[in-house]
Amino acid sequence: MNTTKKKLFAQSMEQHKGIVYKIVNSYCQNQDDRQDLAQEILTSMWLAYDNYNNEYKFSTWMYRIALNVAISYYRKDSKREDRANANDECIVQIADLSQEGERSEEVKQLYRFIGQLDKLNKAIMLLYLESEPHDSIANSLGISKTNVATRIGRIKETLKNQFEARES
Amino acid sequence: MNLDDFKSTWQQQSSETEAAIKIDQTLLTEIKVNKQIKELSEMKWARIIESAAFFYIIVLLWQYIVNDFSVSAPTISALILNIFAIVGLAGNIGQIVLISEIDYSKPVSELQKGIYRVCSHKLQLTKLLLMSVPFYMAYVFIGFDILLGVDLYQQLEQHMTWFYSVTSIILLIVTTGVLTKLHYKNIEISWVKNTIQFIVGERLVNTAQFINSLEFTDS
Repeated sequence: MNTTKKKLFAQSMEQHKGIVYKIVNSYCQNQDDRQDLAQEILTSMWLAYDNYNNEYKFSTWMYRIALNVAISYYRKDSKREDRANANDECIVQIADLSQEGERSEEVKQLYRFIGQLDKLNKAIMLLYLESEPHDSIANSLGISKTNVATRIGRIKETLKNQFEARES
Repeated sequence: MNLDDFKSTWQQQSSETEAAIKIDQTLLTEIKVNKQIKELSEMKWARIIESAAFFYIIVLLWQYIVNDFSVSAPTISALILNIFAIVGLAGNIGQIVLISEIDYSKPVSELQKGIYRVCSHKLQLTKLLLMSVPFYMAYVFIGFDILLGVDLYQQLEQHMTWFYSVTSIILLIVTTGVLTKLHYKNIEISWVKNTIQFIVGERLVNTAQFINSLEFTDS
């Protein structure tokens, strides 16, 4: 890949790197997994960048890859057999959400709520929070618009019930 | 607080989020392969080796058929086993194509189904083996012919022929039932889940459950 492309990729990544942070915090419970998943997402993007189609917004393309990697992410052993490798080539550093004192309680609460959802609802929720229209969410996930609308409705209901239960 | 309040909170966190992640771009753009690509490449090589093995079996069986071409039990057995070997080879070639089509920028449902098909290869091989169970006598006939030079079928008394035929029919019914159930759509059935988990592992069960959840509200 030529230098211009490398630069373009680096620029786009810098602009949208927040997506990686949001996805790893939504899909992983512990910091080691987040770090590892972030590395997998970033390397997958870099390796797929040659086939990036300009017709898509970079953020949409990035969300698709990141969600696909996150959903298929699977680690059998929690002892992190490849932790050493991750340290050898540490491409990404992610701040630990639980250690971030300055992060608003609302945001932490939001991540806790997303963390309770299943993999598909997590993806829908993330795209919904990014203000993606229903048809774009349906396109990215390969499901029908009705399915998206139904699931968002159910998520809203769950959220409402949780808050009501907490208040009472 | 409702989902719309959450949405505005989410959008306000952008600047903080970007500060919470640091990427080493130089190191990143030097990467040539990652864990997933490595895993797919290993799978591709394994399928190539298996294809070569199936091809070798097909050649051997054809040689066996051609060398002594007659309407005998060992020849028919060799033909039956050859069909299974051809199906195995075709399945492996299909897997190689599937692996090369894995693209993480595809819509989530499409990619996850692709991953399921690629990861379920071991399950498909087991199914193929199970499918050959009702034809177990084919192995016996060929074995006797190769090792002892005896056409066992000619030596069998009629009641034994009936016994083996009925056993094969019963096995055919049982294996057909088992094989049609062993599918991701039935992953909620505990014996299906446990069998898939035993043969291929937990990862495939997770993928199957995910695909089912995708299809559940769409159907």
